Amino acid sequence: MQQKGWGIFFGVVLLAAFLSIAVGPLVGWWLPANVSSFGPDVDYLYYVILGFTTFFFLLTEVLLVWAMYRFAGRPGNKSQYVEGHHRLEMLWTVVPGGILLYIAIAQISAWERIKYQAKMPDPDLVMQVTARQWDWTMRYADTPLPENHRRWAEIPNFDDIYLPDELHCWKGANVRIYLKTNDVLHSLFLPQLRLKQDALPGKTIPVWFNATDANTRFNASTGNCEWTDKNKEWEIACAELCGGGHYRMRGLLYVHETKDDYLNWLKHAQKAARSRQPEKKATPVAAKD
Amino acid sequence: MSVSHSHSAEAHAHHELSFLRKYIFSEDHKIIGIQFLFSGLIFFLIGGTLALLVRLQVGFPKGINLPWFPISWGGRMSPDFYAMVFSMHATIMIFFVIIPLLTGAFGNFTIPLMIGARDMAFPKLNMMSYWFMWPAFAVILSSFFVEGGAGASGWTSYPLLASATMPAGEGFHSPASPHSGIGQICWLVALLFVGVSSMMGSINYMTTIINLRAPGMTMFRMPMTVWAMFITAILQSMALPVLTVALILQLLDKTINTTFFLPPGGMAFGNWHTGPGGGQTLLWQHLFWFYSHPAVYIMILPAMGMVSDIISTFARKHLFGYKPMVLAIAGIAGLGFIVWGHHMFQSGMDPRLGTGFMIATIMIALPSAVKTFNWLGTIWGANIQYTTAMLNALAFVAMFVIGGLSGIFMAATPVDVYFHDTYFIVAHIHYVLFMSSIFGIFGGIYYWFPKMFGRLMNEKWGKVHFVLTFLFSNCTFFPMHIIGIAGHPRRYYDSTLYRFLDNVQPLNQFMTISAFLLALAQIIFLVNFFWSLFRGAKAGANPWHSNTLEWTAPSPPPHGNFVQTPIVRRGPYEYGNPDMEEDYLPQAEPQPSGIPAPAH
Ligand SMILES: [Cu+2]
Ligand SMILES: [Cu+2]
Repeated sequence: MQQKGWGIFFGVVLLAAFLSIAVGPLVGWWLPANVSSFGPDVDYLYYVILGFTTFFFLLTEVLLVWAMYRFAGRPGNKSQYVEGHHRLEMLWTVVPGGILLYIAIAQISAWERIKYQAKMPDPDLVMQVTARQWDWTMRYADTPLPENHRRWAEIPNFDDIYLPDELHCWKGANVRIYLKTNDVLHSLFLPQLRLKQDALPGKTIPVWFNATDANTRFNASTGNCEWTDKNKEWEIACAELCGGGHYRMRGLLYVHETKDDYLNWLKHAQKAARSRQPEKKATPVAAKD
Repeated sequence: MSVSHSHSAEAHAHHELSFLRKYIFSEDHKIIGIQFLFSGLIFFLIGGTLALLVRLQVGFPKGINLPWFPISWGGRMSPDFYAMVFSMHATIMIFFVIIPLLTGAFGNFTIPLMIGARDMAFPKLNMMSYWFMWPAFAVILSSFFVEGGAGASGWTSYPLLASATMPAGEGFHSPASPHSGIGQICWLVALLFVGVSSMMGSINYMTTIINLRAPGMTMFRMPMTVWAMFITAILQSMALPVLTVALILQLLDKTINTTFFLPPGGMAFGNWHTGPGGGQTLLWQHLFWFYSHPAVYIMILPAMGMVSDIISTFARKHLFGYKPMVLAIAGIAGLGFIVWGHHMFQSGMDPRLGTGFMIATIMIALPSAVKTFNWLGTIWGANIQYTTAMLNALAFVAMFVIGGLSGIFMAATPVDVYFHDTYFIVAHIHYVLFMSSIFGIFGGIYYWFPKMFGRLMNEKWGKVHFVLTFLFSNCTFFPMHIIGIAGHPRRYYDSTLYRFLDNVQPLNQFMTISAFLLALAQIIFLVNFFWSLFRGAKAGANPWHSNTLEWTAPSPPPHGNFVQTPIVRRGPYEYGNPDMEEDYLPQAEPQPSGIPAPAH
């Protein structure tokens, strides 16, 4: 009797683990709400994998727990005298193999869409993001789409403005970020955008996204961007260890409702930047206070 | 005359060994294995203490102030200190605990005994492989006390955080982190010694297994433990040179200002600019992961082998699908060399490479699945004896399922965009390396302890230890999946800064409390271990009624292992033959009359 208890013990612990994930969506232990155009692809593939893994988790653990219960030893008993089973081996090689191959192939198009440079959409808005220990510098041109933007990203321009830790765009815009780092590795992580990309020393890496929801409005009288919804304070984090301050490279994502709202903000930000630093040439380092 | 003379000379040599030669500078594989076991357990305590410091900071980033807990604590460690603590926790657990325990302790102890050899092929080399660990021990421990402290760039030590160096003549300070000075140099040197030690071990294991098998011990009569150790040794010998090169390159960058990992334009740290470089940080990632992905298998395959033998023994049943199990290990090892790029999907390497690495990585789940189903097949229809060793081995299977399945999320490149470097990967690695490898190691200790020391560990306290460890380790590591799904980045000093993590903050505290309980439960193990060493019940040669060759030798086996070289007559898994009185038939036992011999 005591022997059978071990199967039950395993079963209870495994069931508790399973339930703690299963209640996740109900209590807010889950993916943050998606606001990215390619986010549904990512989330869909996540649920596909979650479905298959949950099935195999339940299948194997239930069989294990049942076998532990059912085949608990009794004195004088003997086990079945078998060494294997050819057809079973084929079955549990071919079926999981097919499923895994399907999972692998299903990823390819979403991966191409998110990361392949050749497949990135033409941008409506271009900016450059430079990481350093320990903040982000966002560089905006005086127009959303500077001419020859690949070149623009490499050469500092007098009219550009630099803002620490604030990423502005508007809803529906194809945003192209040229990602750089001044010092060590960092990783630009926007959980709600399902976006992550390491910043690599000595390289400029193009990144794109398109936000499908807005969270801010520019208030011309105060000169501030106000959240339209308290629960839509979307954050930027660093996901690659970059030293002691790694945890505090927090930034914010401002998605304006319209392009006009964005342009109003941009004009204001330009004016503010000029009045702050009338004669200093703006470089990523100098723009910081 | 001459025969008897040489015989007595040999016996003489075996008895004349001084204490120093017998226990310290020993060439006996069993003693060397036990040496690896003891130093591994000591470092397990150090690595575990560091883990508790990590959990303390992550669970209570603002200090402890709980209504129900008598102690409140406002002290905080600095962010740099925290980074050092998690970096050294992982470094010690991987390079000083799991690899030395699995290959050093169990590989050494089991291989010659299980194939019926008197010792390793190169006993002196074997001794050297252990003694090369000691410079590593000394350097890694003293690195905590050097200026700036021990390394703090993670166990992966990515440049430039790890490798950035001030110009020649300015000492070994790093502009990137105070810990990346002498502490990082110590880290590199220590790992170089560990690597050389492992290399000597793996050459020895391969040679021994190929050349010193007892008569009748064909390759396909070898127990799974030996197969796993054999394939692991091949993996190690092919992967280690690449790590060694990477370590030396970074060491050169740090000491004589080469620029293997500094890009051509140089970099700026604050207002200070390095000179121009000529390298690439990605180079390190490729070299490091070319070793360190196979290293993940170095840290799991031996445990898989050991667990297979333990399960078959206590299921009292033939291992299900022996040859598929061998093939699966070989498949994991082979595929394991072409998947390293899955650590670099978001690194900025060409995303087209990512597609190839993804397909190989997802397919590597297949041999793992095959192994799992065969373990289930082994206990199906079994007559399970729930010893502590068996419980730990079954826990390995139950937990490896979770660790294996969670890996698929990060192997899938688009899903990895979100999950990369979150706590989901921390959960995954702990389900593979703690929940699987460590349960395998515990199983191995409970199983071979009587052979090592001639006494049994206490079963009752062993089970108490198992229950608490199984419970609290799941409480410690399972919620990491959940906070990973919520997007919690790893290696964060204080995650309360982020609103999107507000919901999962209580889980961080829960995991920390569980981790301390998990640590407390290990005291039971230590007391049981040392108490049993001196007071445990006498074991006899074959306390588990097991079939493999080590159980035909006395417990503990003398120098030279076997009184008579065993002659192997069958495979290692002859359990439960219905025609026989006993339910087991050891490998070297002559075929009982009237019982038909199996075909192989
Ligand atoms: Cu960082
Ligand atoms: Cu890997």
